Amino acid sequence: MRFRDSMRTAVAGLRHAKVRSFLTMLGIVIGIASVILIMSIGSSAQKYIVGQVESFGSNLISVQPGAPINGTPASVQGIIIKTLTDRDVEALRNEPSVLSVAPMVRGQARIIFENHDTSVVWQASSADIFNIINLEFANGYPFSESDVKSYNHVVILGSKLASDLFEDRNPVGKYVRLKDMNFRVVGVLKSKGAGIFSMDQVAILPLTVGQKQLLGIDYYQELAIQAADTYDVSFTKGRITSVLRANHRITNPSKDDFEVRSQEEALKLLGNITSVLTIFLSAIAAISLVVGGIGIMNIMLVSVIERTREIGLRKALGATSSDILQQFLWEAILLTFVGGVAGIAIGAFFVALLYFIMPLFLSVGWVFSLPISAILLAVGVSTLTGVVFGLYPARQASKKSPIEALRYE
Amino acid sequence: MISAFNLEKTYYDDGVETQALRNITFEIKEGEFVAIMGPSGSGKSTLLHILSFMDRQSGGSYAFSGEDINDFSDADLAHIRNSEMGFVFQSFNLLSRSTVYENVEMPLLYNHSILRGKRKEMVERAVFAVGLPEKLYVEAGKLSGGQKQRVAIARALVNNPNVIFADEPTGNLDSHSGAQVMEILEQLNQSGHTIILVTHETYTAEFADRIIKLLDGEIDSDIRVERKRRTKEDFFK
Repeated sequence: MRFRDSMRTAVAGLRHAKVRSFLTMLGIVIGIASVILIMSIGSSAQKYIVGQVESFGSNLISVQPGAPINGTPASVQGIIIKTLTDRDVEALRNEPSVLSVAPMVRGQARIIFENHDTSVVWQASSADIFNIINLEFANGYPFSESDVKSYNHVVILGSKLASDLFEDRNPVGKYVRLKDMNFRVVGVLKSKGAGIFSMDQVAILPLTVGQKQLLGIDYYQELAIQAADTYDVSFTKGRITSVLRANHRITNPSKDDFEVRSQEEALKLLGNITSVLTIFLSAIAAISLVVGGIGIMNIMLVSVIERTREIGLRKALGATSSDILQQFLWEAILLTFVGGVAGIAIGAFFVALLYFIMPLFLSVGWVFSLPISAILLAVGVSTLTGVVFGLYPARQASKKSPIEALRYE
Repeated sequence: MISAFNLEKTYYDDGVETQALRNITFEIKEGEFVAIMGPSGSGKSTLLHILSFMDRQSGGSYAFSGEDINDFSDADLAHIRNSEMGFVFQSFNLLSRSTVYENVEMPLLYNHSILRGKRKEMVERAVFAVGLPEKLYVEAGKLSGGQKQRVAIARALVNNPNVIFADEPTGNLDSHSGAQVMEILEQLNQSGHTIILVTHETYTAEFADRIIKLLDGEIDSDIRVERKRRTKEDFFK
């Protein structure tokens, strides 16, 4: 039988049982739509996170105090380590491959304006921080290094924090209270979207105010460093490590009391996390594909039994076992292929829906992503499902003897 | 054309041996109209299945067009069945949700040597020959019993086979439709097709010019009869 005739016969076979074909396909449609949706969400989340991280600048290097334990910096685990000091900042500022260094400390406090009161994570840093992490202003201006040196009580608000406290009013020039001190708002940041790297909810204070007056400490919790443009980031990272080791008198690298991480590494780590999550969720979605495949096998077996006389007739009229096998296999493959295409369309529809809905509900600048790899994978997997689960029924059909098949009641 | 020598067929079911055919020896020449008759269980359908390659004999030899069929694989036999044989069944065996065209076209789908354009012409010619050109694109399930059997005959002759096997072709038909079907088979025989008909009806067998009677799996008689030009009235008697 020619390929075209095989396909035509398979299409006719499915057309004659439209409702059953549709219901059989449904399992595959749902499975593929889920895979598409999950892979797309994974990819969008990855792009979103990468976008956020990259918005801080591609040559950003972060130094955290404490040796890494199981990959997580000690400071993140809540361990207080006092190893990053002014001496380190000065030494790094003298390093040619480093463009600028912004030491940072953080804390949590309530921030009050009139009758609006909210909890805030504040950051205190030198004025360099605005250039290092590419912060843009919606209103006002950044504080200066002289504000830092003079212990001026000025504050920069994140866009969400500003709207929570001031609603529609312009916060610039007004005073907020933080830890029983008044701070004059000098600027409001542009929104960078929600998420773990969001700056929308923070208050940025001059380093001296945060470090000395609010926390009363003489060490830093993080150093944000911008590598000089003419130097490779990994080279600068190596130089920072050398400078800090020399400063801390460390000769054995395994005894480092700091952790240097570049943007690239942070991205890689985040990429790994989202990839693992996507694979895990896709595997769950794939289970529905297997269930759909078993459904197809089941229905095809029923179809083979129901059409036993047709098989006998075709064999009597000259069809070989291979012709019959092809016919039933094509039917199964067509079911899963069409189901796969429908699943992709439905999955894509929901992906598009998410694109519009996510920013409304989560204040997230969602990235539309329908990876071609997901589409190819979906088509491939659904067609393969047809081959795998269609083969057994097709073989059963092809093995029937024409006489027994024709006698079947 | 067909040469059977000492054909035997034995079935085994749960260890019980049943001999359906034994000592079947005959020859059928091209252009003959042979009726195989016998009561139920005499082995006539079994013999038809062996002659049409749908089953294999347990013993003896069977040569088709001078070649022993034991030398052929199942795929070879399917190919010969497709190009040299046509089938008419008692229960029509049409795909009821397919059109007349699709049903008649079916044997041609399995013949690679026939081009698509030629196929349409062959189907139309076969359907015209059985007098149903206006039903070409009607679903087979919507036809009357007589029309269905005529479609089945069109399907049997579409590939212009040398031999047409008809298994109780009038068994499910009223006498009028039965007469029409037998007339068509008679015309096909007159145009050169060999017809091998299995029937238990004497008046149907009388369309043949040779009647092989089976009894308990053996040939009881093999006689030539003078074929008369029959009318519908004869058929209804």
